[in-house]
Amino acid sequence: MEPILSRHFDRPEARTLEGYRAAGGYEAFRKALALGPAGIAAEVKKANLRGLGGAGFPTGTKWGFIPQKRTGPVYLVVNADEGEPGTFKDRYILERDPHALIEGMLIAAYAIDCQTSFVYIRGEYVRPWRVFSEAAAEAEAAGLLGPDILGSGFGHRIIVHRGAGAYICGEETGLISSLEGYKGWPKVKPPFPAIRGAFGQPTVVNNVETLATLPHIVARGGEWFAGLGTKTQGGTRLYSVSGHVVRPGVYEAPVSITLRELIERAGGVPPGRRLKAVVPGGASAPLLRADEIDVSMDVDGLRAAGTMAGSAGVIVMDDTTCIPEALHVVARFYAHESCGQCTPCRECTGWIYRITGRILAGKGVPADPDTILDVARRGAGSTICAFYDGAIGPYISYVEKFRAEFDHHIRHGACDVRPNGGPARAAGH
Amino acid sequence: MSAPAAAAPVTFSDAQLAEVRRLQALYPAPRAALLPVLRMAQETWGHISPAIEAYVGTLFGLSAAHVHEVVTFYTLFFPRPVGRHVVAVCQNLSCALRGAEDVIAYLEGRLGIQAGETTPDGRVTLLRVECLCACEHAPMMQVDDDYVGPLDRAGLDRVLAELR
Amino acid sequence: MPKLTIDGREIEVPPGTNLIEAARQLGIEIPHYCYHPGLPIAGACRLCMVDIERTPRPTIACNTVAADGMAVETRTPRVLELRRSVMEWHLINHPLDCPVCDQAGECWLQIYYMQHGLYEPRMIDDKVHKPKAVPIGRHVMLDAERCILCSRCVRFCDTITRTGELGIFNRGDHSELGVFPGTTLDNPYSGNVVDICPVGALTDRDFRFQARVWYLDRAKSICPGCARGCNIEVHTNQKRTHHAQGRRVVRLKPRFNAAVNRWWMCDEGRYGFGDLDAPTRLERPELGLDGARGAATWDAAAARLAERLRAAGPEGTAVLLSPALPNEDLWLARRLFADALGVRRLDHRVPPREPGSADDLLRVADKAPNRRGAELLGLEVAGAADGWPILEAARAGAVRLLWVVGHDVLDSGWPADLVAEALGRVDCLVYQGTNANGTSARAHCVLPSAAYVEREGTFTNVDGRVQRFWRAVLPRGEARADWEIFAAVARALGHDWRPRRAEQLFRELAEGVPAFAGLSYAGLGDQGAPVAGAVAEAAR
Repeated sequence: MEPILSRHFDRPEARTLEGYRAAGGYEAFRKALALGPAGIAAEVKKANLRGLGGAGFPTGTKWGFIPQKRTGPVYLVVNADEGEPGTFKDRYILERDPHALIEGMLIAAYAIDCQTSFVYIRGEYVRPWRVFSEAAAEAEAAGLLGPDILGSGFGHRIIVHRGAGAYICGEETGLISSLEGYKGWPKVKPPFPAIRGAFGQPTVVNNVETLATLPHIVARGGEWFAGLGTKTQGGTRLYSVSGHVVRPGVYEAPVSITLRELIERAGGVPPGRRLKAVVPGGASAPLLRADEIDVSMDVDGLRAAGTMAGSAGVIVMDDTTCIPEALHVVARFYAHESCGQCTPCRECTGWIYRITGRILAGKGVPADPDTILDVARRGAGSTICAFYDGAIGPYISYVEKFRAEFDHHIRHGACDVRPNGGPARAAGH
Repeated sequence: MSAPAAAAPVTFSDAQLAEVRRLQALYPAPRAALLPVLRMAQETWGHISPAIEAYVGTLFGLSAAHVHEVVTFYTLFFPRPVGRHVVAVCQNLSCALRGAEDVIAYLEGRLGIQAGETTPDGRVTLLRVECLCACEHAPMMQVDDDYVGPLDRAGLDRVLAELR
Repeated sequence: MPKLTIDGREIEVPPGTNLIEAARQLGIEIPHYCYHPGLPIAGACRLCMVDIERTPRPTIACNTVAADGMAVETRTPRVLELRRSVMEWHLINHPLDCPVCDQAGECWLQIYYMQHGLYEPRMIDDKVHKPKAVPIGRHVMLDAERCILCSRCVRFCDTITRTGELGIFNRGDHSELGVFPGTTLDNPYSGNVVDICPVGALTDRDFRFQARVWYLDRAKSICPGCARGCNIEVHTNQKRTHHAQGRRVVRLKPRFNAAVNRWWMCDEGRYGFGDLDAPTRLERPELGLDGARGAATWDAAAARLAERLRAAGPEGTAVLLSPALPNEDLWLARRLFADALGVRRLDHRVPPREPGSADDLLRVADKAPNRRGAELLGLEVAGAADGWPILEAARAGAVRLLWVVGHDVLDSGWPADLVAEALGRVDCLVYQGTNANGTSARAHCVLPSAAYVEREGTFTNVDGRVQRFWRAVLPRGEARADWEIFAAVARALGHDWRPRRAEQLFRELAEGVPAFAGLSYAGLGDQGAPVAGAVAEAAR
């Protein structure tokens, strides 16, 4: 398969503006200027581009929510707060193909009539921040950013804003709150960001990879992009594969690839082990068992399979994995990262984490797995943002699909999976 | 990166104040400069003490309580002093599947502290953190600005040897 | 105006009305914590969820504006299940402090649990612990464990007082309400956060452990602390007199009035009721006209005063009325002293020693609750800036009987030595008031007044709004309403004045003073009404 999004990842020369241009960079932006905002939006809609940060929302539709009648600027906010466990593809784009992101941003900004964009980079990404900032400086020096770019009359500037360590700042309104200088508390909706977002203005929040896809869509056409994928989602995407695989890394594939094929490309599980379970779309995606991996990795295919494409973070677990311990690790993450603003998430992420800890410590009671399931289900759809809906993905799927393992821990106070037996080693905060 | 004497008054230099004003003017609303300014304060003084929170509050017209809210919300802001080096080990799923707990146990043993603590000589603060999004290098950690992984004992020994 | 149905009942509401308020107008109370009509929307507690037709999931009512054609259901099975869940979630980490918590009996976790919870508890894990019993200000105690993080108090300090002392620190279930280390919650309205806290996280230090709320009686009243006339409730402990050190009035709470104080009151007013049950309360008439001052009956006092009034005559009599007297009492005082006795040295204006505190929220510098009433009744010496000419005349020996109501003239803006001289030259100094003070100590006759909580009446506030207050407790000892005292003296002078209730006097007042025309107790209700010509103040 011809690399598209990943074509520059192993070509350090393409990271400079000169190298990027030599490879044809910024020609798509020129073409976008000629297409005009409506033309760009049409191509993006034709492309069936779905958001690649986690929600899978159609990008063209999202742009269309910006009201025609408005006062004040429109802002583009780039969500570079990559944080979904198992996901690292945005980091690759920031570090290895920063100009692709800048070019994509310019195309999107031009399409939505935006003169100022903010790139919110998670605080831990130091090298990616330096590389990207350098690329933005290069672009500005070359007149690709600033007033009147390429004589088009369109001006644009990028403000790079570093996060300070909070997964919830990857939620679009949590990100906006953080950008505005507050705690990363997601905002009550309505109003939605397209109507009132950053600094009270109409705002589009797009993921890094989603934007990096735009130069290709504009250059080769939305129809071409759509044809690479399924009927409802076009193109390729970058899958981050990690966990118990021989070759963890970023793998670009059409969205129609199956999970089995993807795992095989990453070398499968280590020799002598068997596949047990896979998280297909970042930690928030419900687990799939080893017998459920013949599923197409597009947004709608995975939704039909009872899970989600999310951020395309694929975490592979072989038969040395204790699922209750894995749930404890994931539950710890959600308890740690809950912003605490609304009742269901604040209280239940902590509670469920403590239940899993008690199970691993050999002090589980028979009602515990049903308590986890009931508490998780009761909170679905009840919160300010989808963080808790993400949390209940693993809460429910790990317990439902591996109930016997939980019951064993509770009945025997020990693990029957790990070679050493005894209480699991996952420690507390 | 350790803090200076507690008696020193808390103010930015003139150049830093100019940077504060520049940042406040850069964004559509000045409060958006709060995170970068807090980072600047932490880089200057090593951590963000209550005195610094109150001071930064005056630069933004914010009550100290509201600055404290922001500082205590974010993992990368340190309300208490940290060591010259911060070693943050990922304990999330992909790293846990590939031995993160062994890494943490090994470092705790070598450093003689528990995660969350700082070595008595002020050299290293060891932290457990959540996904750093470098799962292809699991088990991994962040040492100050740099990502390091995959980790094994030899690699950890090398890293520790270089932390002064 | 949008027309919508709630639980099958149709209602039309003003544009912009949220569903909680819309439902309220139908008498349907949607449970909630973080919503407060005087504060910005938080949408955090998740308790106010309702089902709206054509919306796939329940939605919070506080942040949903009523739209034309909307169909809202507040009691579908899944809404009821959600409420039960929200109650369970709130109680996961909440400490079982009820037996030692002041909020018990008026706690919205208790109330909503009984209405919407009633589930089998299943939380057997450790609870998160946070600081308890932390005094965060002069008046407010914080228990961070009890806090349900509704953020009402934070929003109050941010948007009403704009002082920003409170914050929610950390994140997740370690989120913790607090003040910045080393600071305190001491703005002039700090007590309001106790009112709006739904639980026992923020409690009154003054009221701490004093009385259980289910023993308290409540009466509607008006704060007499300044001319604003904030609407209040007086809470009294009359059922467990061995609690609260025997104090009857145990706390004051604000009462909503859109035109005056909305939901708030200031700390000075809220905590300023100490005099009511203090040892300095005057409880029986005293006479000292022939030798040492001693207890007397009301009849004896009235008779002696009638004698002295006749002897002094209109030229030799002077009266300083308190602008804290209610309209009814000022009216009767005018009828007695000005009309019946012809006294012209009659005033209410005594300058304070220090200017009173004021702000752009509620507090008014004039600490007299019925200044406007006194002004509208014309109780002033013409051409004088204040009541000083009366003291001057006393110093010159022209005043034989000086009747002081409610003022301590020795502790005022007037030079104390000159005042003392003046008092020294008066043959008969009468002090009428609620508490002993420097002036009462020198009086030849002391007449104990009932406090405002011990009778009903009306005050006219700084904006000309006439507001009723009701009796909360019986008068202490033999104290009587000031109007009763004036009537008794009038009878001793030969006038057959027998008013039975303050309302009779108000009716006379409304007929006799054009500003009060058309007003009546029934018409005033519990929200009051403006005097004629008063500019109707828009709700602040």
